[in-house]
Amino acid sequence: MKKWLLLTATALMLASCGNGTGTGNESGDAGEGKTDFPKKNIEIVAPASPGGGWDLTARTVQKVLKDNDLVDKNINVQNKPGGGGEVGWKYLQKKDSHTLAVNSGLLVTNKLLGTSQLTYEDFTPLAILATEWQSIAVAEDSPYETLEDLMKAIKEDPKGIKIGVGPALGNDDHLSLVQAADEYGINPSDLNFLVYEGGGDVVTALLGHHVDFVTTSMSEVKDQHLAGKVRILAISSDERLDELKDVPTYKEEGVDMVFPHWRGIMGPPGMSEDEIAYWDDKLGEMVQTDQWLDLLDNNDWDDYYMDSKETTKFLGEQTKLYEELVEDAGLGK
Amino acid sequence: MLNTPGDGSAIAATFDGYPMARQGKAGQAMALSAVASFIGGIMATFGFILLAQPLANFALKFGPAEYFLLMLLTLSAIISLSMGKMIKGFISMSLGLLISTIGIDTQTGVYRFTFGMVELSEGIDFLIVIIGIYAVGEVLYNFLNIDDEKREKKEVGKIWFTKEQWKRSRWPILRSGPLGFIIGVLPGAGGSIAAMLSYTTEKQLSKKPEEFGKGAPEGLAAPESANNAASVGAMIPLLTMGIPGSGTTAVMLGALVMLGIRPRPLLFENEPETVWTLVNSMFVGNIALIIINIVLVGLLVKILDTPAKILYPLIIMLAFIGTYTLSYTAVDFFFLLLFGYFGLVLKILDFPIAPLILAVIVGGDMEQNFRMALTSSNGSLGIFFGSGVSIVLITLTVLSLFYPLIMNIVQRRKAATNTD
Repeated sequence: MKKWLLLTATALMLASCGNGTGTGNESGDAGEGKTDFPKKNIEIVAPASPGGGWDLTARTVQKVLKDNDLVDKNINVQNKPGGGGEVGWKYLQKKDSHTLAVNSGLLVTNKLLGTSQLTYEDFTPLAILATEWQSIAVAEDSPYETLEDLMKAIKEDPKGIKIGVGPALGNDDHLSLVQAADEYGINPSDLNFLVYEGGGDVVTALLGHHVDFVTTSMSEVKDQHLAGKVRILAISSDERLDELKDVPTYKEEGVDMVFPHWRGIMGPPGMSEDEIAYWDDKLGEMVQTDQWLDLLDNNDWDDYYMDSKETTKFLGEQTKLYEELVEDAGLGK
Repeated sequence: MLNTPGDGSAIAATFDGYPMARQGKAGQAMALSAVASFIGGIMATFGFILLAQPLANFALKFGPAEYFLLMLLTLSAIISLSMGKMIKGFISMSLGLLISTIGIDTQTGVYRFTFGMVELSEGIDFLIVIIGIYAVGEVLYNFLNIDDEKREKKEVGKIWFTKEQWKRSRWPILRSGPLGFIIGVLPGAGGSIAAMLSYTTEKQLSKKPEEFGKGAPEGLAAPESANNAASVGAMIPLLTMGIPGSGTTAVMLGALVMLGIRPRPLLFENEPETVWTLVNSMFVGNIALIIINIVLVGLLVKILDTPAKILYPLIIMLAFIGTYTLSYTAVDFFFLLLFGYFGLVLKILDFPIAPLILAVIVGGDMEQNFRMALTSSNGSLGIFFGSGVSIVLITLTVLSLFYPLIMNIVQRRKAATNTD
């Protein structure tokens, strides 16, 4: 009964809004992003179950856009888990420009690993929003004090050193290590990985000494590092992080690489110039709000905003980089 | 009550809960399970207060080899339950293991048995298998028999359990609480394994094992107590190490972070007020649960009075809704119906269903852990005998498999000496 009332109410409101904005401003204001877009509620697809990184990204965007009145239509988050994003992104392909979806490096690597045919060119890239950084960590009583110690040991006996990673080979956790190992002249396909179900399981395995070291997002091990239970040996950002002043970057350790684990957002294929401009405008405003910056901090993410043009270029570069890495790891299809 | 468990951890409770309901003791069964859950939950909460830190350290000792053996023990326990139908139980379990291999293989990233369907890439959710086989299968089965069914008078019975039932359940409840709690602490083990192990333990300790599966009150009370205790135990890895041990706690972690609380290794030391608030909420939650359950017993058992022609369509509808909410795709409906018919066939052929379900639940993890163990030992099987924990688990597994056999021999000896 209540649902019915609510539905009718929203329908009425939508109808009146449509009439109000529809009259008069067909064009002209487009430069300021004031077209009649959006005409209806916005839907953000999180191509994963509630609780994961994609879900968190989608819900953070929803919250900040709404709390700061940046978008005057309702915004809903839809979870469409499955196939490393594939299910949600296929769903997006069939929708109109009022549906967006969250993405990450998997959008590029799925195709390279042979698990999907989709690439970023099948969609309209809108923005890169934020990034996490990758890290290498050992247990506090580990004999490896620096990245170099560890890499030397691997070089001597690649099969003897067990590496925890999750939830699947070919993700950023795995490929960032592949790139680093490559720099040290270690053949990445010799590495001995134990694949766990997720970041949490990887850390448990490290604490229980079931693996020798792990490669995972910085956020998974940061608290353990601060508590003195694990030691982070290197981090993939270009400068040291404020919250982890004692952890060196890969660059300082002599590995010339910066490896972001980025998260972005995109729309269905064939969005109009006006619609893209609308989101450049709104998302550009969103990433400058205090609330957004606070939430980034809470999640251990860093600002990494790029607008639609920069994002398209960036995705092209990422595709090239990942192609090489997947090839090196011996996973190419 | 309708022989339709809501999730994996409720399976063990249907073994005796459903027969009790058929004997016109539905009200007693519900009251008993409410009280058992309550006691299990409260015991686990006290356990949490006293033992959180040492247990968290104990859980860390569980590597891939130990997890594999724990799951093996669970499966062997359930096989040993299908008395007289061991072969059928074994076939049923193997089918379950087959289903669990569907989807992406995490060790290599290879897709198995997905037939090119993206929806299958993460395997078939075990809840679909449960809802399909139990709910849909049960309804279909009842439709087949709807004509010749005498519609046995469904007495709800008294809504409070008798002294006799309480006497029989008392100790099983008290034993199962700690058992469930400890298994709950292990990340990923969870309620289904806890409930199943407590059920077999009680059956083997019982003086009347032949009544198990035919409505023994302790067969209902023990798994309920263990299950609820396990859900409290699952909070320990989350709060002591900041690592979610189950799907439920992963969602809780997300909710806590949104509120600005970040479970972390030093949470106990740095933010005791947060931890104690949570512990209090566990007490309050358990007390609220038992009050709601007991007040509602009278109402809920009325469901049994609902005529079949109304009740069954309702169950089917709920089954579809429940399935859709799992991953919001209509493709799952296809699997739901498929498993419904599959369940029907199993029922007609009189195959035990629980081994299949449990195998689907633990199969995937069991295989991955087995292979991770072998990877980390470079292929040597010695790793399965490498620690104290694993040797205990192996011993228990062997015991549970041969227990029925040994009991048989002992009984025959007795019979033989009697006739002499």
